Amino acid sequence: MTSLDKGMLCFVYPVLVNYSDAYHLQRRLLRSRLEGQIANTLLLMEHSPTITIGKFGKLENVLASPVQLEAEGISLVFTDRGGDVTYHGPGQLIGYPIIDLRERARDIHKYIHDLEEVIIRVLGSFSIGAGRDRRHAGVWVKDEAVAAIGLKIKRGVSMHGFALNVNPNLAHFSLIKPCGLTDNKATSICRLLDRDVPMGAVIERLLAYFSEVFDTEIKLAPGLDSVRSCL
Amino acid sequence: MYPSELKYSTEHTWLKLEGDNKGRVGITYHHQNQLKQVVFVELPEIGTEVTQMEPFGVIESSKATNDLYSPAGGTVVEVNHSLEAKPGLVNHDPYGEGWMIVIDLSNPDELDSLMSAEEYIALITQ
Repeated sequence: MTSLDKGMLCFVYPVLVNYSDAYHLQRRLLRSRLEGQIANTLLLMEHSPTITIGKFGKLENVLASPVQLEAEGISLVFTDRGGDVTYHGPGQLIGYPIIDLRERARDIHKYIHDLEEVIIRVLGSFSIGAGRDRRHAGVWVKDEAVAAIGLKIKRGVSMHGFALNVNPNLAHFSLIKPCGLTDNKATSICRLLDRDVPMGAVIERLLAYFSEVFDTEIKLAPGLDSVRSCL
Repeated sequence: MYPSELKYSTEHTWLKLEGDNKGRVGITYHHQNQLKQVVFVELPEIGTEVTQMEPFGVIESSKATNDLYSPAGGTVVEVNHSLEAKPGLVNHDPYGEGWMIVIDLSNPDELDSLMSAEEYIALITQ
């Protein structure tokens, strides 16, 4: 750990979190982090079914009509992260690190590389060989996307983050053109292993590798033990 | 890489004072180098009021959006629309063709709080 690093506080949410609620929480945490009131923070959660469109994303990359989305119970949200269109839903692990990159040379590319590294190591621990695509942030297994990344950096502090497919409804991905890329297929840990993998197991490994790759101590927010039994 | 006639902000934007109380604004070599390939730039419309050290637009590279911070306050009088089709100009020529907006400065005294090239270099070399 660098002398500046006071470690990271992690909140794991046991129930589905509404995308917009999580967004507003991130904004508040980011402001506190900028003012040095809190340490780096990591939010881990799952969202109710939501399609999000990034700051410069294109609505035409949402292939389903508003009627179809409503029938499926999927919300549509315009957000301010980088990247195009993506899907979030139960079974997908969402990670929102609020990290002060000013303590890490404001190197966004290294940050993205490190997030990808964490996910690659998590997948490796399940014997899944995953890698990067030089042209696009994210994590792939062969030509199928298993994790998406999209960020916003505000005065050097990051928000938004990653979405790792553990066991989401993959059919929902056909309602969009993920990341605006044609022929971008999505996959998940459970699909790749052809067996059920509990979210809690993924979270445990994610925390371990996050700590390792980011060289930071991660403290779980009080109450995690009771939360973990819900996972 | 850091022209001495420009003034610099801590959020890596530069300002060039031009005739008739105008300031031309863009991002520095350091900032475009950190961002690497710029894929989108959102700029304000002519007539928009901007405030010193407040966001005036958004820039995206590698799936990360970043706010663009105005080095001075005033009214936007010119916008570089070339950046819509050619965001790469920001990387290729950050002080020339990659310029972003021109502001009619509301308070030229604000420029005193900006950095010289030497101070900016010191900031980014820390």
